[in-house]
Amino acid sequence: MNATVASEYSAEVHSVPIEHRFNPYSDNGGTVLGIAGEDFAVLAGDTRQVVGYSINSRYEPKIFDVGDDIVMTANGFAADGAALIDRFRNQLKWYKFDHGGKKLSIKSAARYIQHLLYGKRFFPYYVSTLIAGLDDEGKGAVYSYDPVGSYEREQCRAGGAAASLIMPFLDNQVNFKNQYEPGTDGKKKKELRYLTLPEVLDLVKDAFSSATERHIQVGDGLEILIVTKEGIRTEYHPLKRD
Amino acid sequence: MSDPSSINGGSAVAMVGKDCIAIGCDLRLGNQSLGLSNNFEKIFQFGDKTFLGLTGLATDVTTLSEVFRFKNNMYKLREERQIEPKTLANLVSSTLYEKRFGPYFVGPIVAGLDSKTSKPFICGFDLIGCIDFAKDFIVSGTASDQLYGMCESLYEPNLEPEDLFETISQALLNAVDRDALSGWGAVVYVVTKDKVVKRVLRTRQD
Amino acid sequence: MNSISQRYTHANNNSVMNEIDSARSETSGNHQLELAPSIQLPPISQPTDFLRAHTDDASNPDCKIKIAHGTTTLAFRFQGGIVVAVDSRATQGNWIASQTVNKVIRINPFLLGTMAGGAADCQYWETWLGTQCRLHELREKERISVAAASKILGNLVYQYKGMGLSMGTMICGYTKKEGPALYYVDSDGTRLKGEMFCVGSGQTFAYGVLDSAYKWDLTIEEALYLGKRSILAATHRDAYSGGSINLYHVAESGWTYHGNYNVGDIFYDIKEKEQSFNNVDG
Repeated sequence: MNATVASEYSAEVHSVPIEHRFNPYSDNGGTVLGIAGEDFAVLAGDTRQVVGYSINSRYEPKIFDVGDDIVMTANGFAADGAALIDRFRNQLKWYKFDHGGKKLSIKSAARYIQHLLYGKRFFPYYVSTLIAGLDDEGKGAVYSYDPVGSYEREQCRAGGAAASLIMPFLDNQVNFKNQYEPGTDGKKKKELRYLTLPEVLDLVKDAFSSATERHIQVGDGLEILIVTKEGIRTEYHPLKRD
Repeated sequence: MSDPSSINGGSAVAMVGKDCIAIGCDLRLGNQSLGLSNNFEKIFQFGDKTFLGLTGLATDVTTLSEVFRFKNNMYKLREERQIEPKTLANLVSSTLYEKRFGPYFVGPIVAGLDSKTSKPFICGFDLIGCIDFAKDFIVSGTASDQLYGMCESLYEPNLEPEDLFETISQALLNAVDRDALSGWGAVVYVVTKDKVVKRVLRTRQD
Repeated sequence: MNSISQRYTHANNNSVMNEIDSARSETSGNHQLELAPSIQLPPISQPTDFLRAHTDDASNPDCKIKIAHGTTTLAFRFQGGIVVAVDSRATQGNWIASQTVNKVIRINPFLLGTMAGGAADCQYWETWLGTQCRLHELREKERISVAAASKILGNLVYQYKGMGLSMGTMICGYTKKEGPALYYVDSDGTRLKGEMFCVGSGQTFAYGVLDSAYKWDLTIEEALYLGKRSILAATHRDAYSGGSINLYHVAESGWTYHGNYNVGDIFYDIKEKEQSFNNVDG
């Protein structure tokens, strides 16, 4: 094994290669959120992009329509996120060439993304990935990933910088965690039900305005992509810019 | 992890309502992943309507709670009256700053009603005593991120005591359920002009 | 180490085509099937140090990429087959990333794999093991033995030894010639046949309950309850275990799923019924 030599700017001729500290990652902040309804799914993200304490952009969208009524985001290190989404889009294009324009189901897309992420198991994409769309039965679906591709279908998931602020709120308001029927002395849980699209959009807006208030990397704007059987629709709402 | 403030785990939160305040905490004390006690209260009462919440390193929580019990008793003897929340806040601040270069690893919060005006008062501190006065809510502990998210989205001003209890309880419960080192039971105090109500919440035990 | 690096760095980028190509060459030849995909390595001399610096939160708590961890899983053999019980919590540091993880991977109708350690490593390689088992069936016109299946996984992780894979898994199954069989396979390359294993951060708590009540002659119902009860004890004491409990039973007809039990609900039911957990009020 060749040793790594501390690099100095000298004129010496080295017999072993000099290796500078290899740090290919940075953190571009931002946060994302996906919620599945009965016949729709939404993916939302703020539009601020940061590095350190500086704002690169107040409007840099990170939720994308990747085709076949699937929306995707890879939040964290923006370059890795962009690379992952580009790769997925490209593979989807080739899939269509090879299979006569066949639609890729969200289930298959989800498994394929696992392979994209795990393919870099030893040099990971520094991202938390979410996709949303409709499943084979037309029900809303959200899939979430860790950086190296373990994935799970869920009703809702927050990812990125303010995930820890938003996720407990979602547990409470989407899955009704810790909520009980009034007057039952905590014996009967509040029954689960699908939320309507307006309810979900209100939750998303509340979640992001709250996260904006308490997280420096979140703010500027909120972009929501909504998948229904009619297709994909985009909404934009301003967030605080401080 | 050897970060002293997250060895034992635990969280606390305080909120202001209409002529009332509420303060709550979890009951867990652990050694890293191992849960040791489900009966470790982190809220201490000083006088009728003044409360101190202490999260962080358990040894410092216990030590400081005793230090403040002593100081509060001395205050009562000297002044022949009960300590005001605002006074306790300054006492906490100066006590912590005395250990500026070898601090107690705690995240204190103070909540109470002024004995004369019954005006709600809450504040929080960093570990060396910088006071954070707040009009709405204060959070502290290993689930502070989660508590910020919950409080920021559930809180509204001028809640009646019962509604304030529901709000702070939901905020606390859902926050600690997303933190591995908090939970294992919870207590909430609701303080109004003429009474203090303590409630123990039934929580998940995992 | 670098031989693996060379094998994978210059591999074709299109992993799907790679798989198809290697599957083709397999049908003509008869050598070890390379369905293992190409995995990219960082372009430096010590990829493992790089990976540790960026992903191992034990050696570097500030690392940016946190990989999901934490678990309690158990499986044991008894008179009526095998019982498998797992929790469902995933943690990244002290943050509970999920309470609904599926830690039992259904390799095929006769084989189950459990998941502890790196979630992605287990999920990925155990589904990969599923394809290997299917290919074995197609080649040999016979279901794969549990011994062979676990050895395929054992050999795979051994190839990657030292590169940072993290898995502690139990392969459970039933075949005619083996009967109910249980193997423990971990990412160090350990592969053990055994009667009873608990794996994960809460393993000691689960062993405590399991050992105190385990007998070979347990009925299926008793065994399922013991599995559930052992995981419950672990979720209680171990901060990194929790969520809900998934239960399985493996017998000659394959595995059967015995439900998902939310710890938040069953804890107080069991406490009241058993008069146990007396450290907890209410």
